[in-house]
Amino acid sequence: MAAIDEHRFVNLINEHQGLIHKVCIMYENDPEVRNDLFQEIVLQLWRSFPTFRGEAKITTWMYRIALNTAISGFRKETRKIKTEDLREVHFNITEGSDDSEENLHRLQVAIRQLNEIDRAMIMMALEEVPYEEIAETIGISQNNVRVRMNRIREKLRKLMLERWS
Amino acid sequence: MELEDLKDIWKQHTAVFPRKNEAEIAAMLKGTSRSIVAKLKRSVWFELIFTLIAGIAMVIYGMTLPSGAMKWMSISIPVIFIAYAVYYIKKLILLSRFNPLEGNIRSSIETLINDLSAYLRFYRRSYTVLYPVYFALGILFGLLEKGTVDIIGILSKPKTILMLSIVAVIFYLTSTWVVNWMLKKLYGNHLDKLKSLLHDIHQKNSE
Repeated sequence: MAAIDEHRFVNLINEHQGLIHKVCIMYENDPEVRNDLFQEIVLQLWRSFPTFRGEAKITTWMYRIALNTAISGFRKETRKIKTEDLREVHFNITEGSDDSEENLHRLQVAIRQLNEIDRAMIMMALEEVPYEEIAETIGISQNNVRVRMNRIREKLRKLMLERWS
Repeated sequence: MELEDLKDIWKQHTAVFPRKNEAEIAAMLKGTSRSIVAKLKRSVWFELIFTLIAGIAMVIYGMTLPSGAMKWMSISIPVIFIAYAVYYIKKLILLSRFNPLEGNIRSSIETLINDLSAYLRFYRRSYTVLYPVYFALGILFGLLEKGTVDIIGILSKPKTILMLSIVAVIFYLTSTWVVNWMLKKLYGNHLDKLKSLLHDIHQKNSE
């Protein structure tokens, strides 16, 4: 039974690992720490897996644990942090043009300048997570999500323009 | 720039990450957690084991001593350790029961702050109480060991009181500083970060 569960879980992570990678990239600069964070998220998901009853969407559950781990649960070791430019992370551009690559780069850099809670909110919004689920994941009201999202959007616009100019 | 425009930028690209294969993912499940709760658990386990070993060693050592002050000191300190061991076991049970990362981000942060603060408070309080106890016991048993009969007479001399007070203050300040420094280094920065995150969430809620 445990082996079946483990197999099912590994398949699930394999299928949705993009989500975990995105969270790691948005919260950690150092590739090594990012890898540690990935492992930590997988471990926390595995620990919570027996209690996941399918009441929420699987991606909502994964976001909740992944963001919780990245924001509050993960404790970095004190060692020399090697920062990595986002450009070093390889991206496959589906409608490949230099402009779209630049836009994405600007957006990512801007998102990383937001505080950790705003970062979580905008990431979920960009991934089409409904406001109701964002509110539930963060622990604030839907109304506050709406208000806050407008401010984050405005902040991002300014940050992206600054980078442009 | 509307949210939809940002979504378009976000969606235009499919990030290609260094994909983990199934064997790598399966291996991760056997790894050691680096969460703050896991770190707390490891610290509590270490302290429990250390307390038990130190307690047993002191009792064994005390048994080898002839009846006297040192013998009673070696046996009385492990009695204090029993209270610590009970606390550590209770703490381990509590830490094993919950997974704060399952709730929403706000409740997780609140739980972590409460737990970390309680842990740090316990440490500070116990050291604040225990150091004077050890200090007093050390003086008492030291005088008894020397065969001093009129302990109260000696301790009530103004010169002795002054000297003991100075030593006690130095001892207290140094040990408190060391404990605070150690706790700050181990958990303080993380606790500050959690408090600032919670403050940010509360601000969002009041907007």
